[in-house]
Amino acid sequence: MSIFIDRQTCVCVQGITGSEGSFWTKHMIDLGTKVVCGVTPGKEGQTVEGVPVYHSVRNAIRQHNIDATMLFVPPKLTKDAVFEALDAGIKKIVMIADGIPLHEMMLIRARALEEKAFVVGGNTSGVISPKEAMMGSFPHWIERVYKKGSIGVMTRSGSLTNEVTAMIVEAGYGVSSLIGVGGDPVPGARFAEFLPLYQSDPETQAVVIIGELGGTMEEEVAEAMINQTFTKPLVAFLGGRTAPKGQKMGHAGAIITGGKGSVQHKIEILEKAGAKVADRPRKVGKLLEELGVKKD
Amino acid sequence: MKLYEYQAKTVFSEHKIQVPNSRLIPKGEVNADLLSVGYPCVIKAQVLSGGRGKRGLIQLVKNQENALFQIQRLFELEPSMKYLLVEEAIRIDKEIYVSITVDAPSGKAVLIASESGGVEIETLAVEHPERIMMEPIDLRYGLMPHQARHIAYQMNLSGNQIKQMIQILMNLYDIFIKYDAELVEINPLFATKEDTLIAGDGKIMIDDNSVFRQPRFAQTETDYSSEAAYEASLEGIPFIQFNGDIGLMCAGAGLTTTVYDLIHYEGGTVANYLEFGGPNYRKAVKAMEICLKVPSKVILIVTFGTIARADVMAEGIVEAIKKLNPDRPIVTCIRGTNEAHAVELLKEAGLTPLFDTEEAVRTAVRLAKGENR
Repeated sequence: MSIFIDRQTCVCVQGITGSEGSFWTKHMIDLGTKVVCGVTPGKEGQTVEGVPVYHSVRNAIRQHNIDATMLFVPPKLTKDAVFEALDAGIKKIVMIADGIPLHEMMLIRARALEEKAFVVGGNTSGVISPKEAMMGSFPHWIERVYKKGSIGVMTRSGSLTNEVTAMIVEAGYGVSSLIGVGGDPVPGARFAEFLPLYQSDPETQAVVIIGELGGTMEEEVAEAMINQTFTKPLVAFLGGRTAPKGQKMGHAGAIITGGKGSVQHKIEILEKAGAKVADRPRKVGKLLEELGVKKD
Repeated sequence: MKLYEYQAKTVFSEHKIQVPNSRLIPKGEVNADLLSVGYPCVIKAQVLSGGRGKRGLIQLVKNQENALFQIQRLFELEPSMKYLLVEEAIRIDKEIYVSITVDAPSGKAVLIASESGGVEIETLAVEHPERIMMEPIDLRYGLMPHQARHIAYQMNLSGNQIKQMIQILMNLYDIFIKYDAELVEINPLFATKEDTLIAGDGKIMIDDNSVFRQPRFAQTETDYSSEAAYEASLEGIPFIQFNGDIGLMCAGAGLTTTVYDLIHYEGGTVANYLEFGGPNYRKAVKAMEICLKVPSKVILIVTFGTIARADVMAEGIVEAIKKLNPDRPIVTCIRGTNEAHAVELLKEAGLTPLFDTEEAVRTAVRLAKGENR
């Protein structure tokens, strides 16, 4: 069992005929993902890796049961593709595009909340459960990075995720399910929203979050630990500790978060909640051990 | 992308938000024209960094002699600055804070306002959150007039000023939408003794992902601190220049930031931050060209890419070395999709590819100190 997707999840790929779309569809299928259909306007009747292509999500869903959809769609077209999927009633969406305009991300996030849907991304590699299924673009065939195991991972980053998971594997662990919420200031789904899934997943012993400065997602995780809705061991890696102090969001950012958002604040509240915080990727495995997490 | 105060105020006055009478003084063109705003006046450095008042970059002057002295001093203090803004001094009754920004968890915008504006607003937010009003705005409907009224009536303003405040808030929201802003802020907004409201300062930040549809504020070479910074921006390559020894050429913002941390933990210093991952992973030649324009003792390349394939990046690096013949050592740590092939390519080019980020960082720090690998 894994969270978000497994081998039974019926996946649609929007933008399947594009170069990224077809390349990663092949890898998704190779890993074991059940890709049932694809969508590219104007390409109905074609197939990609044996997967039938439709003009629209509406056409596809008439022919197939769809549980989740994966978007290989450029940033400027992402909002439309997300709304097309939500309008068709799909509740699990992964969008990887890097560069989605901020105001469009706000509309996507607000709509996702209304529909009680998981819209994961943008600016992410997606979601993977090693040896099970993936929606996104992970080098799942590199065993020292994506070995199956019992550590749940949530991340705001791409390349850094490979770096950290490689260290988790080096320390003798593996990954149960990994969710990349993405690096944009307004992600479609947030860390804390996946904690209940990890909490009830028998295959996940502990969770690692890969965070960074800015925003309040790490603080929300700490809150879930403090009010005991999440009780498994948790290790956080936070980058950007020595970064020159940026003023990206000006005063308003600081006001809105009431002083939250700095790496220092995140460390304090996570440690208060009982989490361990690593200052370099290699320490993540050691801290899992300190928390008594059994090796895979 | 952050706009300068004078740009923000131009936008404000186009949207009927009152700003002080002013003149923009370009570097090297100081003349008696600035007299026309009268004395006393305020001379304000047009730089993007915050805390200008505390750094002495905003000066109140009472006569022309003093004005000319301060203008010269400020241009000397900030050599890359292009403009000074000279504004009439305003007779202030009180300072108000208003802004519109993004609330990520809800996917809504939020209007933030306080009767106690000014430089200490962040402290106020922590110590007296009850003195700050926040009004969520649903982007589908926009800011409703009743919301603006609700905020304005709580500010202890005169009847006349309340009307102006409502209009300012509505117009501020129009600006937020029109310019794809992540922040529009007026702090302070002066309530004057003449019963008006005037924007004392202005901040507009345009979302970087939306700059493509905001051509009005496209930047030119003179807006950048160096040739390297300008070239990087033309390529869409994130780049920041520092004064240290190690030039970073990494892929992925998170990984680059982590390498930056690791260098500091190991006692090294960074010459530049350059991130050529994502859509830029085929631009290794350009990336190295930019890195070589920055004074540094060693270039450190760390990647762990997926879509950004290791072999493609290695090919680019080998090509860059052949073409540019770099005058300083290069340390590589390239992993990810097709990494075995990448290692072969790098070895053929005479490099010693490393596989562990921390080891690569330590090697770069040693080389930067003049030691051997």
